[in-house]
Amino acid sequence: MKRLGSLAVLCVLALAPVAARADIAKLAEDAKKEGELTWYIAHYTSEGAEDLGRGFTEMYGIKVNVVRTTAQVAYQRLLQDLKNNQTICDVFSSTDVGHYVRLKAQGRFDKYLPENAAKIVPAFRNVDPDGFYHATSAGLVTLTYNTAKVKPEEAPKKWEDLLDIKWKGKVSTGHPGFSGYVGTWVLTMKKLYGWQYFEKLEKNKPQIGRSINDTVTALNAGERQVAAGADGSTLFSAARGNPLAVSYPTDGAVLIIAPSAIMKGTKHPNAAKLFMEYLYSVEAAKINAKHFGIPLRPEVPAPPGAKPISEVKTVRPTVEEISKGIPEVIEQWRDTFGN
Amino acid sequence: MAIAAPAIDTAPPRPRRAANFDSTWILWIAIIAVLLFLVVSPFVYLVVTSFQAEDTGVFTLMNYATAYGRARYIDALLNSLKLGAAAAALAGLFAVPLAWAVARTDMPAPGLTRMLVLATFITPPYTGAVAWILLAGPNAGWLNRFYMLATGAEAGPFNIYSFTGLAIVIALYSFPYIFIFTTAALELVSSEMEDAANILGAGPWRTMRRVTLPLALPAILGGLIICFLEAIALFGSPAMIAIPARFNVVTTQLFQFFGNPVRVEVAAAYAMPLLGVTVLLVLVQRLITRRKGFVALTGKGGERRPILLGRWRWAMFGYAMIVASLAVFLPYIFLVQSAFAKAWGRGFALDNVSLDNFRFVLFEHATAAQSVINSFLYAGASATIAVFLTLGVAYIAARRLVPFGGVLGFLCVAPFVIPGVVLAIGFYAAYAPPTLALYGTALILILAFTTRFLPVGYVNASAAIRSLNPEMEEAVRVLGGSRLTALRRVVAPLLKRNLLGAWLLIFIPATRELSSAIFLYGPSTKVASVMIFDMSEEGNFERLAALALILQVLTLPLLWIGQKALGRDFMLRRNAT
Amino acid sequence: MSKLVLKNVAKRYGAFEAVSDFSLELTPGEFVSLLGPSGCGKTTTLRMIAGFMPPSAGTIVMDGREISSPSGVVPPEHRRMSMIFQSYAIWPNMTVGENVGFGLQVRKLSRAEIDRRVDKILDVVQMRNLKGRYPAELSGGQQQRVALARAIVVEPEVLLLDEPLSNLDANLREEMRFEIRRLHDEFKITTVYVTHDQSEAMVTSDRIVVMNKGKIEQIDAPHVLYSRPRSRFVAGFIGRTNFLEGERQGSDVRFEGFTAVAGTLEGANGGGKLLYSLRPQAIGLSMQKTGGVGLAVEAEIADRSYLGEYWDYQVRPLGAAKALRVSTGPNAVFEVGSRVWLEIDPAAMVRVE
Repeated sequence: MKRLGSLAVLCVLALAPVAARADIAKLAEDAKKEGELTWYIAHYTSEGAEDLGRGFTEMYGIKVNVVRTTAQVAYQRLLQDLKNNQTICDVFSSTDVGHYVRLKAQGRFDKYLPENAAKIVPAFRNVDPDGFYHATSAGLVTLTYNTAKVKPEEAPKKWEDLLDIKWKGKVSTGHPGFSGYVGTWVLTMKKLYGWQYFEKLEKNKPQIGRSINDTVTALNAGERQVAAGADGSTLFSAARGNPLAVSYPTDGAVLIIAPSAIMKGTKHPNAAKLFMEYLYSVEAAKINAKHFGIPLRPEVPAPPGAKPISEVKTVRPTVEEISKGIPEVIEQWRDTFGN
Repeated sequence: MAIAAPAIDTAPPRPRRAANFDSTWILWIAIIAVLLFLVVSPFVYLVVTSFQAEDTGVFTLMNYATAYGRARYIDALLNSLKLGAAAAALAGLFAVPLAWAVARTDMPAPGLTRMLVLATFITPPYTGAVAWILLAGPNAGWLNRFYMLATGAEAGPFNIYSFTGLAIVIALYSFPYIFIFTTAALELVSSEMEDAANILGAGPWRTMRRVTLPLALPAILGGLIICFLEAIALFGSPAMIAIPARFNVVTTQLFQFFGNPVRVEVAAAYAMPLLGVTVLLVLVQRLITRRKGFVALTGKGGERRPILLGRWRWAMFGYAMIVASLAVFLPYIFLVQSAFAKAWGRGFALDNVSLDNFRFVLFEHATAAQSVINSFLYAGASATIAVFLTLGVAYIAARRLVPFGGVLGFLCVAPFVIPGVVLAIGFYAAYAPPTLALYGTALILILAFTTRFLPVGYVNASAAIRSLNPEMEEAVRVLGGSRLTALRRVVAPLLKRNLLGAWLLIFIPATRELSSAIFLYGPSTKVASVMIFDMSEEGNFERLAALALILQVLTLPLLWIGQKALGRDFMLRRNAT
Repeated sequence: MSKLVLKNVAKRYGAFEAVSDFSLELTPGEFVSLLGPSGCGKTTTLRMIAGFMPPSAGTIVMDGREISSPSGVVPPEHRRMSMIFQSYAIWPNMTVGENVGFGLQVRKLSRAEIDRRVDKILDVVQMRNLKGRYPAELSGGQQQRVALARAIVVEPEVLLLDEPLSNLDANLREEMRFEIRRLHDEFKITTVYVTHDQSEAMVTSDRIVVMNKGKIEQIDAPHVLYSRPRSRFVAGFIGRTNFLEGERQGSDVRFEGFTAVAGTLEGANGGGKLLYSLRPQAIGLSMQKTGGVGLAVEAEIADRSYLGEYWDYQVRPLGAAKALRVSTGPNAVFEVGSRVWLEIDPAAMVRVE
């Protein structure tokens, strides 16, 4: 009897992946009838987002309307849509976890647990135990610098180095009022060092852009020399031949785990579900890695030149801290930096 | 004048029904309804919304309290006013000497100068801003680099991310307005006025000082005011420059009110002073230009005698070329460099040349390519609607088909005093939510553009219709045709060229319109101007430059058509009120 | 000595000759009109006198000093002339007083002196009480007076007027004609007056230069021009006239409808075809044959028009195809179709080219 039981279990186990794949095939068929999908995304650069979208289209033949903006702008768009009772966005991918807390509380999401959720790196699972939103991208905010202007030994090693007077007029950052990455970073700095960190940073007259990826431009152009930037976009730009490098701060790179969710009342429910599956697939992870994001699937290795996540010291505020804290720091930032 | 009458129908005449009922009345009523929809409704909604509490709609003054409660918000307002004044003054400095040189002196190459002013005029201010970021970024800007190279200095003196920088950029791309106003005024000053001064003993300089310039002054002031109004209503260049420069202006602050959360009510309240300032200044401008009957009759038989500058004509030409360099040469050189570069910072190295940016924009970035198409489609639609609508209204007003036709004309011109941003907020408040639910649709953009450009269309149509003798249409009606027939077969054909001109005068600016689009676009209705602005967010200057150049290049055939049909300077002729 | 001498002055625009071979001498204080239809070159000539354009050929000399020639022109501001324009060209940004005082300011007179002279001239043109007004507040006639005052107050060597009355209505025009002549007489300024209106020219001028297609047709005093026109053009342009074509036959000259003895006619010495001008007022009209000094011609009334101050008759001599134009006083009423007698005085017939 026991043997029969184990055999049965073995059969089930053997058949399980096939069953899972058959489900996805059915989903793909239903999704194809819906024809297209609209994706509000802040996680990557335009290029990265477009790449991912194209990957999905190539796999399943469904058009993806990639609406890439910074996190706060994406949120603003979404709120406007909701206020006007329009469901335009099917999948919402923002880098500010606080958005998800609020939207979930308002019942704006459709619950869906992707099949592939079980296959991703354990550290990124279960961001929302209720299953309304899931981590689909991860990245770091680190110190970055222009290698043509700054030698590795001179580069800042920890966050407080940015406050050093020798970097006056040479620092670049994004703006928390736009970027979720920057918002989370600001919150973390405030948590670690208090708001004086920024009062001192202000004295160094940083160039403030909007997206965290603005730092890449500023450094590339030689306009600034050091920055609080995203490792992904920085390394991607460096791989193209630009004089950039990442310096992992000894006091902890800020880890951003950015979720995605399906909007309730979406006009393309199957396509949305399929897309969530896709975001957890190996193909998506490969594209991610190409853009120097942290791949979520263990099968896909970290891109060359980037330190594997296990070797980097990271800090990360809690979800409640982010949810409450980012709106606060945006106001504080405006008061301190004048805008 | 005896006319042989056709054979008379001897049957008794049927009694006439509702006197003079013409089926065209339905058309006229439709036009009036559309005007109310486009102009009056958003404005009313704007005002009403500013007094409404969010969600409940209850009357409240809280919005105004919030809008003006923070020092930062009031600072933004003051900054806008200062910026407007600075930009207008600088623009005047650029434009007036050029206009005088081109219109009244023997400065060499006036045609070239006019062409360069035209090139400036068709450059969107946000494209200019991007180019100037490339040129005058404090560390990496080209001008600074050259300076550092030339003098060995540590840092360059130019910083685009400053109040002065922004004022200069705005001035550079709005000075053509003053140029147009000034040349028009100078050309209107009858040569007999100057001859009279000459023969009484005044030489060319004294004549210019005491006769020409004072006569042109009201128009110059008018141009300065228009410049000021443009400057305070701009969104693109302040967003790109003021934010890193760490100061706020009204338009960027309004954008924040549309931020997170969306507070249309507060935005509406905040927009009111902008509207108020604009209305006030437009009234002042009218007052100035109407005084003392300053439009002088042009005399007969005068070859306009240009003022001979002698050696100074080359100095004047040099000045013209300096302004042209700042507005056209330098920016476009570096925009082109950037568009063809892999990384603009790397400069003119041969290995830095690539067509990737164009490829990406045209073929890989679906939204970018679509945005260009959207721009042209929406601009075309709104130009068409605006031209025909204003033709209808101008006709009704000129032929006095309804009482108070002047009010209709006023409505057509009223949008002139509403800054683009404010208009967009009004449209948003009025038509985005249900019942009409135009949120995120192409229609709301088209309607907003149409309204924005009604004044241009109306001024053109009104002048054109006034130039027609009504007897030509009366001849059609006497022979049995309806008014609509007269309109279709006599008026419209005669006005073909005018209509084309008006269409182009609306279409070309509409393709670049940013300040009203930024609040009204949806994910599938992005236009090129918004796309360019978004790209500047990621600092993607190479791709941005490619897109901006594509937009400019696509405009050239239209300009060519316009010039062929309407003369070389059809865009530089004064058409605004 | 002549004040102003134009010698063989011409103006060419490419192949087109706007003015050709214009010669004229003005004595100081003389009032000369340039009269002719549109496009005859009169305004061009005036503007050359003013110095606004150089002549293509010829010279202009004032007080013995050459001021215009193809190679150079003394600029208008240094010619010490004045000009009144068709549009008056009163500067709208200045008051009447400032307008009039402008030329004096340029001549650097003292404030007090300027005021004195301005007031004086405004008195002359009866505009003193409007000194502080702006041109937009003035009527056409008042603006005209301001233009006059402004031009005269600087005591110019030559005063030029370019059709100054064409923008005024008929009554005002008459009034201003006299005004202009009156001012001329009072100040004795040498004046050149351009007009297309012959009655204006006749009322104001000492001499009239009749121009046609860029050329001078005739220069004479008004009454001489009227009674003794030299050319067909002048005869037809000044006043109304009848053109009579005659053919010499022996000692007679045969006209359509009557014959005159060659000896009684001016300039009938040559042979062949001769053209004469005969004014409508110079022909007598009555029911009976009168025994006057002229030829008696029987004729028939073909048409008539009553103009209040006179009758305009079309009278066809018997046997002639063409009718003659005859004017009579308002009380000489003849019916159409009635037989009448014309009295034609050969001495009144002027030979024209």
